[in-house]
Amino acid sequence: MISVSILTGFLGSGKTTMLGHLLREPEFSRTAVIINEFGEIGLDHELVEASDDSFIELKTGCLCCKSRADLVQTLQDLLQRRDAGSCPQFDRIVIETSGLADPAPILQTLMTDGEIARRLVLGGVVTTVDAMIGADTLGREGISQKQVAVADRIVLTKIDLAGAAEPALLRRLAELNAGAPVLIAEHGRVEPEGLFDAGLYDPRTKSLDVNSWLASDVHGPVHHDTEIKAYAIVLADPIPAVVLTLFLEALAEHCGTDLLRLKGIIHIAESPERPAVIHGVQHVFHAPAWLERWPSDERRSRIVFITRRIPRRWVEVLLDAIAWEVAQVSVPL
Amino acid sequence: MTKVPADLAYELLAQSLVAWCVAGSVQRAGNGAIVIEGCCKNIRIDPAPQDPIFRWMVTIDARKRKAISIVSVLRQVREALDPAYAASRVRVVVAPLVPS
Repeated sequence: MISVSILTGFLGSGKTTMLGHLLREPEFSRTAVIINEFGEIGLDHELVEASDDSFIELKTGCLCCKSRADLVQTLQDLLQRRDAGSCPQFDRIVIETSGLADPAPILQTLMTDGEIARRLVLGGVVTTVDAMIGADTLGREGISQKQVAVADRIVLTKIDLAGAAEPALLRRLAELNAGAPVLIAEHGRVEPEGLFDAGLYDPRTKSLDVNSWLASDVHGPVHHDTEIKAYAIVLADPIPAVVLTLFLEALAEHCGTDLLRLKGIIHIAESPERPAVIHGVQHVFHAPAWLERWPSDERRSRIVFITRRIPRRWVEVLLDAIAWEVAQVSVPL
Repeated sequence: MTKVPADLAYELLAQSLVAWCVAGSVQRAGNGAIVIEGCCKNIRIDPAPQDPIFRWMVTIDARKRKAISIVSVLRQVREALDPAYAASRVRVVVAPLVPS
């Protein structure tokens, strides 16, 4: 399987600069990069120099809008060229989105095309944030908030210019996505280790790192002035499979695009030894992946929600109400 | 057959209005019923104890409809209160979450 990661971040937040440095690192050899620029004439790909065994593709137009089919086509072309030996034998793909792109539809595209999904596995979402003006941007631009909210890793760029990360910015990032580790880039350079291997499946070890992927230590104060909220619910009791199904259906039905991302490890009542891992973006969900065993002694279900305007309490009460009704149906009459 | 406890249903509906960004009020009435007012609609939700299949009765502006579950109640209430509501059905993708 080839890992495909998304590099996103608002306009001017340093995505391309960081990518340029990363592609010179040995860890980023054998990488195919798709750079997406908004507008007719792309420039960013001219600014990135790839090593001999990596290369860059350019797509103009916005991947999150009308060009989603183009993304699938581009990925299919890449895979065909790799198979035919007409391009370097990459084992990682990085998609750099335009600064105005909504990463959620791009995630959905990667999840929903069966042809590419057989060969690609999501490596995670990395979001760059400008340490100088990031707080202002987050306050002003809804798309910037969304880029941060769905991230598996956040990289603070231009820290060399800012001197230090402003506490207000760090608080805002924590409000939007407390679960994602915040990394620091100085002069565009960031520690490459593990940066793009933030998905459930770690292609380096060929194993599943559920705890890291879940980052389920989402907690702490959430201010009420932000529409986007991240929270985790922990459930001590196993969940009947039908309750989970009804719950996910209700979330999709009523949240739609406001359910930015959901990830979880679930103790299914009918499968006490093999937990289910779930992942959804808006109303699109993967079928659960069944782990061979629990990754630790922790056997409670943990579900991380990244939502816009969806109160945590609504989610909790919805699940309680469905579980209650199902339990009553299951009682012999 | 026991119904969803009235407190749970009441809180779910109250929280639902918040989640849907719909203005309105949710109040308890007698016999476990819940009354919702909003968007010029008057909605009453009653447990349906005599029906083993349809667990709720939803009355919207005097028009009665049965509901099979609390999820069905939510759908009816939202359709009444939120003109912009268009249900998104969950879509399960063929892509594996992890390599098989």
